[in-house]
Amino acid sequence: MRILETCSHTFLLLRTPEGSEITSLDGELVFSRKIFCRGAQNLGLGLGITSGPWRTLGPRPHQSPVLSGRRGAGSLGRGVFGFPLSFSSLSHFLFPPVPSRPLSPGPGDAPPAGSRPPSPGTRRRRIPAGPRSAKSEAQDGKLQKSSPLCPPPRLSRNSRPSALAPQLIHSPGAGVSQRVRPASTLASARAPPAPLRTRPGSRSPLPAGIPGPMALFAIFQKTFLLALLSWRTYQSEVLAEYLSLTPESLKVFTNSACQCLQLQWNVHGLPYHQELKMVFQMEISRIRPSNVIWVGNYSTTVKRDQVLHWSWESELPLECATHFVRIQSMVDDAKFPKLSIWSNWSSWEEVHVQDYPGPSTLLVFPKNKLVEEGSSITICYISGINHNNITCYLHNELIHGEQLDPKASAFKLNNVSFFKRSGTNFFCKVNQTDIQNGTTFFVSKVLEEPKNFSCETQDFETLKCTWYPGVDTGLDWNIQHSQSYTLFESFSGKKQSCKHKDSCDWKITQDSQEMYNFTLTAANNLRKRSVNIIFNLSHRVHPMAPHSVHFENRGATTVLMSWKVHVLGNYLTLQCQVELEGNGKVIQHRVDMKVNGEHLFGELVPDTQYVARVRCANAKHFWKWSEWTVENFTTPEAAPSEAPDVWRIVKSEKGSHIVSLFWKPLSKIHANGKILFYNVVVENLDKPSTSELYPIPASTRDANLTLDLCSYQIHITANNSVGTSPASVIVISGDSGKKTEEIEEEKINSTEDGFFMSWKPLSGDVVGYVVDWCEHRQDLFCNLQWKKLGPNTTSTLISSDTFRPGVRYNFRIHGISMKNIAYLLENKTGYFQELAPLDSPQVNITNLTSRSFAMTWKDYATESQPGFIQGYRVYLKARNRQCHPGFEKEVLSDDLIRCKFDIDDPRKKTFIMENLQPESSYEFFVTSYTGVGEGPNGTFTEVTTSDEPYHKLIRIILPMILFVSIIIVACYWKSEWVKEKCYPDIPDPYKSSILSLIKSKENPHLTIMNVKDCIPDAIEVINKPEGTKTQLLESRKPVRESPLIEPVYLYLQDEKKSSHPGSFICFENLTYNQSASDSGSCGHVPVPPEDSPRQLGLLTSPDNLLKTLEKNYMNSLGEIPAEETSLNYVSQLASPMTGDKDSLPTNPPVPAHCSEYKMQMAVPPMPCLPSP
Amino acid sequence: MKVLAAGVIPLLLVLHWKHGAGSPLPITPINATCATRHPCHSNLMNQIRNQLLQLNGSANALFILYYTAQGEPFPNNLDKLCAPNVTDFPPFHANGTEKAKLVELYRIIAYLGTSLGNITRDQKLLNPNAFSLHSKLNATADVMRGLLSNVLCRLCNKYHVAHVDVTYGPDTSGKDVFQKKKLGCQLLGKYKQVIGVVAQAF
Repeated sequence: MRILETCSHTFLLLRTPEGSEITSLDGELVFSRKIFCRGAQNLGLGLGITSGPWRTLGPRPHQSPVLSGRRGAGSLGRGVFGFPLSFSSLSHFLFPPVPSRPLSPGPGDAPPAGSRPPSPGTRRRRIPAGPRSAKSEAQDGKLQKSSPLCPPPRLSRNSRPSALAPQLIHSPGAGVSQRVRPASTLASARAPPAPLRTRPGSRSPLPAGIPGPMALFAIFQKTFLLALLSWRTYQSEVLAEYLSLTPESLKVFTNSACQCLQLQWNVHGLPYHQELKMVFQMEISRIRPSNVIWVGNYSTTVKRDQVLHWSWESELPLECATHFVRIQSMVDDAKFPKLSIWSNWSSWEEVHVQDYPGPSTLLVFPKNKLVEEGSSITICYISGINHNNITCYLHNELIHGEQLDPKASAFKLNNVSFFKRSGTNFFCKVNQTDIQNGTTFFVSKVLEEPKNFSCETQDFETLKCTWYPGVDTGLDWNIQHSQSYTLFESFSGKKQSCKHKDSCDWKITQDSQEMYNFTLTAANNLRKRSVNIIFNLSHRVHPMAPHSVHFENRGATTVLMSWKVHVLGNYLTLQCQVELEGNGKVIQHRVDMKVNGEHLFGELVPDTQYVARVRCANAKHFWKWSEWTVENFTTPEAAPSEAPDVWRIVKSEKGSHIVSLFWKPLSKIHANGKILFYNVVVENLDKPSTSELYPIPASTRDANLTLDLCSYQIHITANNSVGTSPASVIVISGDSGKKTEEIEEEKINSTEDGFFMSWKPLSGDVVGYVVDWCEHRQDLFCNLQWKKLGPNTTSTLISSDTFRPGVRYNFRIHGISMKNIAYLLENKTGYFQELAPLDSPQVNITNLTSRSFAMTWKDYATESQPGFIQGYRVYLKARNRQCHPGFEKEVLSDDLIRCKFDIDDPRKKTFIMENLQPESSYEFFVTSYTGVGEGPNGTFTEVTTSDEPYHKLIRIILPMILFVSIIIVACYWKSEWVKEKCYPDIPDPYKSSILSLIKSKENPHLTIMNVKDCIPDAIEVINKPEGTKTQLLESRKPVRESPLIEPVYLYLQDEKKSSHPGSFICFENLTYNQSASDSGSCGHVPVPPEDSPRQLGLLTSPDNLLKTLEKNYMNSLGEIPAEETSLNYVSQLASPMTGDKDSLPTNPPVPAHCSEYKMQMAVPPMPCLPSP
Repeated sequence: MKVLAAGVIPLLLVLHWKHGAGSPLPITPINATCATRHPCHSNLMNQIRNQLLQLNGSANALFILYYTAQGEPFPNNLDKLCAPNVTDFPPFHANGTEKAKLVELYRIIAYLGTSLGNITRDQKLLNPNAFSLHSKLNATADVMRGLLSNVLCRLCNKYHVAHVDVTYGPDTSGKDVFQKKKLGCQLLGKYKQVIGVVAQAF
């Protein structure tokens, strides 16, 4: 149905394609004041029939799915006309065919950007779009609450034609549908006008000259129809007035904070007291009207003269582009199903927020924009500067944008992430200038749904609801506070803002409300998140912790515990859980109660601290346990229940027994209180009447008793404040049995669990066995440990946490007889874990010979080693990489070779090294070894064997022989020289030349050499000794000269001249002086003749001369013990310096060699005078 | 009336004319009382110098702290975003007389004090967790208050100047966050630049 504006009335118009027919079954009813006026003028009846060209102002029914659908429903409806109408007939009646020429301008007709929109009615759009339920929008919970920066209308989204698609905001209670149609598709969206549906021949003008009933009928029919039309016209006039609902007074406001266009309009012509459901369709363009960026519907109920509001949020900041808005409406009311046609479009409203800046200004938008993490934001700038010179950055990263127009560019940032609470800076600058600007936008974290939302009550007065709030979405600069939480209870309809972000207290009213339906809503500026729970109050009881817990002792082992709980409603039964923890155990019980509860704990341990806990919960509908109430109590003491575990060590010493008693402290279970002291009662069995009591302080664990050799029975009891324990009895017999030293020690091995040992049972009746050992090796700090075993036990595993590796433990096994006398049975020793020896033996070298030596280490203590010594190992450094027989060669890592010899007997502590080389060096090292390994490496000791005896002799004799040989050879080689030097040949007087002179005298031809004739230079005196002297000569000279030679005296100088003093010098040949010979001197000692006259006299006679000479010579020698039989030869040499007598003693001629004996002094012819 | 208007009024004006009428008013009226609340320190100029040195010593650290807290792009675009382009900033002539310098110093400190208050207010909202920046801003503002008092004392006592006309920086309350950040940065840049000159001049 079309409502056409008429000049004075709204009229129902039947129209033919030509506009000349009034009625047409297939036509459409069109209200048009103009047409009506024109038609009325034509008809002259006030009935307008369109005959000329006209414009359709509403959509064609077949183009509108809404209208087509309604029309196709085929049902009869009651229209405003007041009677039922056939839908099809009404549709034919009401909707005339549309003209074939489209009247809407095409996209190309759009005015240029920035120009004013066209005049109303010049541009129309027919966009079939049915109202869309707002419930389908915002299903994801977005924007359930309007931002304080934005007005309250709700917003829904539809498809967007471009990256800069806007958002639609719709008011509460109003249905909005939208459709975005880009400008490029705008033309295609406009369907061509449907062909005008007419029925051929329907145009039947009344022929003026038709007479008869047919004419009457026709007139009647027409009259009837006209009457009907008149009546309907009246009706439709009213309707037409009401349904001419084009939105009017459209005003557009902007809100830069939310980038919103806020529309305000009203609809005139609604009847009073009438509400109509209407659909408004908005079209929004950007930059120019033809650039439609968004189309959407808004459904609401409209009253007469109501001012309507609607808001649309632009993704692009409004400052960066001019926007255009127009609106049309349609009745969407069930009361008028046939009248749902779109009204005219309102005129375009231009929205221009920001004037374009000058050439030196750069403006960046939006300011302080709040977006949610993961969403998109569009930032734009406007500037009169060439955009090529403008660069924009986000976090110092260059961002490329899209130029909207010559003065605006936009940057769409998708999937923005939270940077910091104080916002993210977007910065633009103009290159090579100081022009810059920027903006700060804020990215909020996504609001999370509250988790673990639950409510409970502890007292039926307050419900405490708690939840986990999730991340805080608050931002700085008051852009967005932390999310708020609101609690809404649907049954009571109450709502409460929560003060805390994770809890809320809800006051329970006393109206006996049992069911609660809570909705917790978290909200920030961008989003709401809700969670819901529904529950019965009695099912959410979380009782408070019990109180007034008391304990009542009933003996040492029984305690009655009582407690109370806070009153919870009427007749609410609680179940309580009671726990008792003590003595290493936890006992749990359940008790049902209402207000007071109690429980009796039995079988407790005396003098033990217990921890009692109690908590309660609703017995019928369990929800949560209350908090524990914890109290401690201690049971009273009782007398010790067991005798102390006692053992002893007995040492015999000087006719007495020294008994050391040891006992273990009673366990807590058996002590039943604090042990105050021990009583030791010693009873002499041989003298039953005598016994002694020794109280021992509780802190002491042992006692020493010195007893004589009698038998004693010792009782030991432990005492606390309540009583005395049973007594432990030990009997010390006078015969202590075998001693430890008398029993052979047996080695035992250990396992991971300890030492397992077995023994031969004691013959006879036994009450048990005891194995004792020292925890420490040293006897002084033995810390005796023992283990008591039953009489049928012959093996046991001794385990202790105190066992340490490398410690030798000695175990003694005792058998206890029926008389409580202990007998030592066996002695065992072992290591919990053997280790290698700690040290190596100190070796002494003995019996060192040239071929062997002995090594001994008698002092090496094997028992102090951390393992059983299994033997010794002798290492010897190899000589020439060879080992002695019996030694094992061992190559070390550094290619050294050592020889090894194992001594398997640990008792053998001597080793003899044999078959050694004399006078050789050997290096050895002795270490011990256990089952784990050998001792630490030590230094090798060097031993040098001694030499052989004949070698020593050879070393002495050979050099001597060599030396002697050398001497001999040297002497032989220099025999002449030696001879000359040491034993020169004695001149043989018989071989002297003087003999020839003498002989020449005897010879007739012998002539005496006259001194005058020659110059004498030597005198050789030859004398032949007599008797013994001959023999002497013979021994010296094998060849014997003639013995008849007489001494001859030669006068070498004239007698006259002899008177001259100092004319000659006398020499004595000392060669023949025995003493001189012995002295080794071969020199001549000048002997001044003392009796020269006599000597001269003797010269005349050879005998006398000899005698004189002999005598004088002998006298001159004085002390020289010359033999009487020896001969002295005196030689005289002429002084080379005659007349210098004084020089003779001072400068005696020193003959250099014995060979100079041939140099004889010439005898002057005058007799020798003694020198002065 | 015309005669009255034409003759009497000029006559009255002439009668009431005084020397100096029409010229700018002096900073301090001649008979203005110059009273300070507290007695001035004896060594006032030395204290002023020390305060200036103290401000000069901390100005750069405050500047760095500020632009670091604003985040990018401020640290990397100091020449553009934090250039000392502050309009209406009071001038300072280092070669003037002590009185003139003190008057100019008073104007500068008054200007800076109010601007610093704006910056502190903005930063407490924008960067509520930048405690060191807040502390530095507060400390600087405290010193400035003391300096302002001392300068006024000096002017009052020695030069009998009880009142100085001052100008204040632009109001940033209506600006967006980025502009607040930028204006604050520019002002602190200017402060760093000026305080060095002023400290040397005294």
